[in-house]
Amino acid sequence: MLLNFDKLGAWRWALGAICGAMTLFLLLPIVFIAALSFGSSRWLIFPPPDWTMKWYGELFADPRWIGAALTSAKIALVVMVVSVALGLLASFALVRGRFAGREMLRAFFLTPMVLPVVIVAVALYAAFLRLGLNGTFIGFVIAHVIVALPFAIITISSALESFDPAIEDAAILCGASPWQARAHVTLPSIKHGLLSAGIFSFLISWDEVVLAIFMASPSLQTLPVKVWTTLRQDLTPVIAAASTLLVVLTLILMLIAAFIRKGKSE
Amino acid sequence: MTAPFLHINAVRKTYGSVVATEHVDLTISEGEFMTFLGPSGSGKSTILHILAGFQDPSAGDILLRGQSILATPSHQRNIGMVFQRYTLFPHLTVGENVAFPLRVRGMARDVIAKKVDAALALVRLTGFADRMPAKMSGGQQQRVALARALIYDPPVLLMDEPLSALDKKLREEIQHEIRRIHQETGVTILYVTHDQEEALRLSDRIAVFNQGKIEQVGTGQQLYAGPATRFVADFIGDSSFLEGQVLTLHGDCADIGFADGTRLNAVPLHGRAQKGDVVDVMLRPERVDLTQTAGPAGASLPVTIEDLTFLGNATTVMARTTWGAPLSLRLNFGHPLAAQITRNAHLHTQLNPSEAHAFSK
Repeated sequence: MLLNFDKLGAWRWALGAICGAMTLFLLLPIVFIAALSFGSSRWLIFPPPDWTMKWYGELFADPRWIGAALTSAKIALVVMVVSVALGLLASFALVRGRFAGREMLRAFFLTPMVLPVVIVAVALYAAFLRLGLNGTFIGFVIAHVIVALPFAIITISSALESFDPAIEDAAILCGASPWQARAHVTLPSIKHGLLSAGIFSFLISWDEVVLAIFMASPSLQTLPVKVWTTLRQDLTPVIAAASTLLVVLTLILMLIAAFIRKGKSE
Repeated sequence: MTAPFLHINAVRKTYGSVVATEHVDLTISEGEFMTFLGPSGSGKSTILHILAGFQDPSAGDILLRGQSILATPSHQRNIGMVFQRYTLFPHLTVGENVAFPLRVRGMARDVIAKKVDAALALVRLTGFADRMPAKMSGGQQQRVALARALIYDPPVLLMDEPLSALDKKLREEIQHEIRRIHQETGVTILYVTHDQEEALRLSDRIAVFNQGKIEQVGTGQQLYAGPATRFVADFIGDSSFLEGQVLTLHGDCADIGFADGTRLNAVPLHGRAQKGDVVDVMLRPERVDLTQTAGPAGASLPVTIEDLTFLGNATTVMARTTWGAPLSLRLNFGHPLAAQITRNAHLHTQLNPSEAHAFSK
């Protein structure tokens, strides 16, 4: 290897320091928020003078916070299902299909990833005004599926590409109808891809804020929108508590996704 | 006359202007081990895929016991197949893989369990039922695939280069297993390979494919001793080709003259040739003897020794004729000349011209 870490001499310390600084840079805000959520000061003083759980108590006692969290979860769950279902169908077409314009279609499916979210949000807002979908559950789901779908397609496509279609042929010769073969052989074989796609889709919807601000109405808000609107009105440690819970759930789901990938590679 | 067991009837397959197979016509009897031998792209796998139902022929028909199977979809053909690539279902255990064909047929659990045990015993993998495919070697995986393809008693088993991913030693071991399984089950096997040694080892009969056509069908011995075309002569076994000219024709044989004036008399001639035409004369290395003195005229050619390789049971000799054509010979261990010939020695070959073959160009 050209760059052997053990042979770098003094550079090793410099590299170690840069790595440490990067880690701190990435982790500190999260640690900071988590620490504040347990701090006793109403004014978010750091370091906290004392420790308390009362902001979590306030958070769980407030039906508006609970409502927002439930709305977020419901939207994310529906987005997950829709995104995986559409992603699966699109992936079959993109991986197995032999048609003109396939590469164009793939690029088209992935455009929401590179398009600025604000532009998608403004365009959807304008379109939904005519359709009367702003502030509705369906409006939220459609908006989030648009940004989640590219990730589902990428994950499921790569799982499908590593699955040899000859295995499906073998199942068919064994007597399974083409649909049976897909249901009993192909889908179980790419289930790690489907699970990862589901988790990513859920997470994208769960912590998405730009589209959600455009879609939200006073009666229908997701958790990130609630955090944002509360932040504009008053600075309370309840926000830190809500943020910490958001991060924790995200972290758990990321760990599950990592385990799925690890299980697959072993 | 009763219909043949399996009749591949004038099958033609084209992709646009590309012809994959052209008028392939072949009958196979029940219990026969038939091998399609040919280089890649010769159309042998295309026929197998048509039999499996993955492709439809452009023309022609496939008849099993006199009935066309082309209208039957793949999953209802009841045909077994072992693929070139590993195709075990990765999420199922070995036992579940082998049970799969019976499950989709809705058989009772206890019947399935018994049959799975018997099938795994047949491929000598008893005790492996709970393994996952990823934890098995390539050879073991192909044996499981074989068990899975045989468990529903298919009338025909298709094997598409099933051993090409394995190393030589393992390949020979499994070839042996396949022969035994063929004898034990009596299943009709259609086997595709580009390896002539594998074809000779396994088959009752071999169909040699070249450029979408069958060049010749016969037992290994028939193909080796009596190749009908230059391609078959070249593809099966080792051989040398000497370019010569037809001097005289007598029926199916010809006297062939070479550039230095020597000749071989009464060589079997394949294809059409007139007096004076240039032909290729094929000689098998082990049927050409080496002697100190010239043999009878018309059955002997003078050569110069170029190289010798001792291989234990035999010595291969690279020689050159007086007009410069390469000729390979094979002397068995113990041949009186094998130990004493040296490079650049001028010697004579002797052969039986009726064992040579002349092919028109």
